[in-house]
Amino acid sequence: MQSINRHYNILDFAIASLLRRKGKNLALLTIYTLIVALIASLIFFVQALKREAAALLQDAPDIVVQRLMAGRQDLIGLENIDRIAAIRGVSEVTPRRWGYYYDPVFGANYTVMADAKLAPQAGMATVGLGVAKNQRIGPGDIFTLTAADNSLILLNLEKALPFESELLAADMILLNPADFGKLFAFPANAATDLAVTVANPREMVTIANKIVETVPGSRPIMKSEIIRTYDAIFDWRGGMMLLVLAAALLSFVIFAWDKATGLSAEERRETGILKSIGWETGDILLLKFWEGTAISLTAFLTGVIMAYIHVFFFSAPLFAAALKGWAVLYPAFHLKPFIDPYQLSTLFFLTVLPYTAATILPSWLAASADADSAMRS
Amino acid sequence: MRRLALFLICTMILPTVELCAGAKPSKGDKCPVCGMFVSRYPDWLATITFKSGETVHFDGPKDMFTFYLDIGKYRKGKNRGDIATITVKDYYGLKSIAADKAYFVCDSDVLGPMGKELVPLTTAADATSFIKDHKGSKPLRLNEITPAVLQRLQ
Repeated sequence: MQSINRHYNILDFAIASLLRRKGKNLALLTIYTLIVALIASLIFFVQALKREAAALLQDAPDIVVQRLMAGRQDLIGLENIDRIAAIRGVSEVTPRRWGYYYDPVFGANYTVMADAKLAPQAGMATVGLGVAKNQRIGPGDIFTLTAADNSLILLNLEKALPFESELLAADMILLNPADFGKLFAFPANAATDLAVTVANPREMVTIANKIVETVPGSRPIMKSEIIRTYDAIFDWRGGMMLLVLAAALLSFVIFAWDKATGLSAEERRETGILKSIGWETGDILLLKFWEGTAISLTAFLTGVIMAYIHVFFFSAPLFAAALKGWAVLYPAFHLKPFIDPYQLSTLFFLTVLPYTAATILPSWLAASADADSAMRS
Repeated sequence: MRRLALFLICTMILPTVELCAGAKPSKGDKCPVCGMFVSRYPDWLATITFKSGETVHFDGPKDMFTFYLDIGKYRKGKNRGDIATITVKDYYGLKSIAADKAYFVCDSDVLGPMGKELVPLTTAADATSFIKDHKGSKPLRLNEITPAVLQRLQ
């Protein structure tokens, strides 16, 4: 009980002494908090985006087979379906027909996909919320797309896709295969790519190799490769942001180091007085420890909370443009709150601990000096 | 009314639960041969069901055969005659198949949770194709697997 009281009294004194130099400490606290908030936002944002992408890719096909023509992606013939399905370990091969449609009136790019399930009849369409908003249409309305032969295709909007699928489907238009063929003059015996389902993930590489053998000029892309690429992209973009922040970070480190290590004459005199009225070296170290902890912990907690609000309530407006993507119809989505305890504790050890240590060391030197000389200097 | 509902639940759900229980290991089920948790390796699951209704799960066909070839060591007083069914997971489709219909390939470059494995395949053609891709020696049937074969896989 007594030791708790001792800590309590020293903490009380530490806060009082911090408040005595209000301006300087408040400035330090503000900058410290902002830096922590920036870095924590970056960590939260990149992590949440990665999780979002991974969750979306969970439903992606195990292998996507594209055909390459002179190094560019080309349509793949449907006759390849049977060849790939014959490979042992392949449980399903589905052709996918999709493409991009540029709408010059609204200046947006849509992803158009043939889907017999969501648009069972010719003339029917299902669109993402982004498209519906962009075209200002609702269920039951009619809209037109310009086909490859410059004729207009009239489409009846069945429904807009719900909000949950927005990240994936904001710019999506789902058409009946017949309309899709008409819109792009798409050959009937071809698909954009083939989605291959593999039962045993251990066989994935073998099957990918066999696909290259059986379908010359094809490029199989495995789900793991897509996930890895997305991870790398987000890491790369996060790293770029960190590089931009590095200058600010470095100047803060110099500032904090200077503030924490360089004891001012006034502080040295204070130490001397405390010693002369009977404080022990240990008490003074404790005082400095509580001073450092009060500042860095407050900055850390406030910064992390600010970052959380910034990223998960406001979808990170500071980084969004740099980190998300570049499509015109980028979905307005909210990231699912997720905190990686490992990264948070890394941030903690990189900010709170060094600062606290940096405040204690010099005061230990001052506190171990003679009280009389400390007061005189 | 409540009793009737309870009765219905008992008669309708319990039998299916029992059937499922035979097919899937629970989280705590350990392989009687190596002691590893079976549910972590669903792709390699092998199961022996005794006529008494007891099911034993293994984390790979190799351990299942170790058990099968020396049942008395693991289950006192039981022998091969007490076994009702043996199932293994087909490598390509990851579906449960009867072990007496399966083809087993050893010495391949595909490793199971316990290292070298007898990889179960549904048809002779599957086995041929598997051997082409992953090396391995001539496919064996259930009755061709002897302690000497298992010795080679240690």
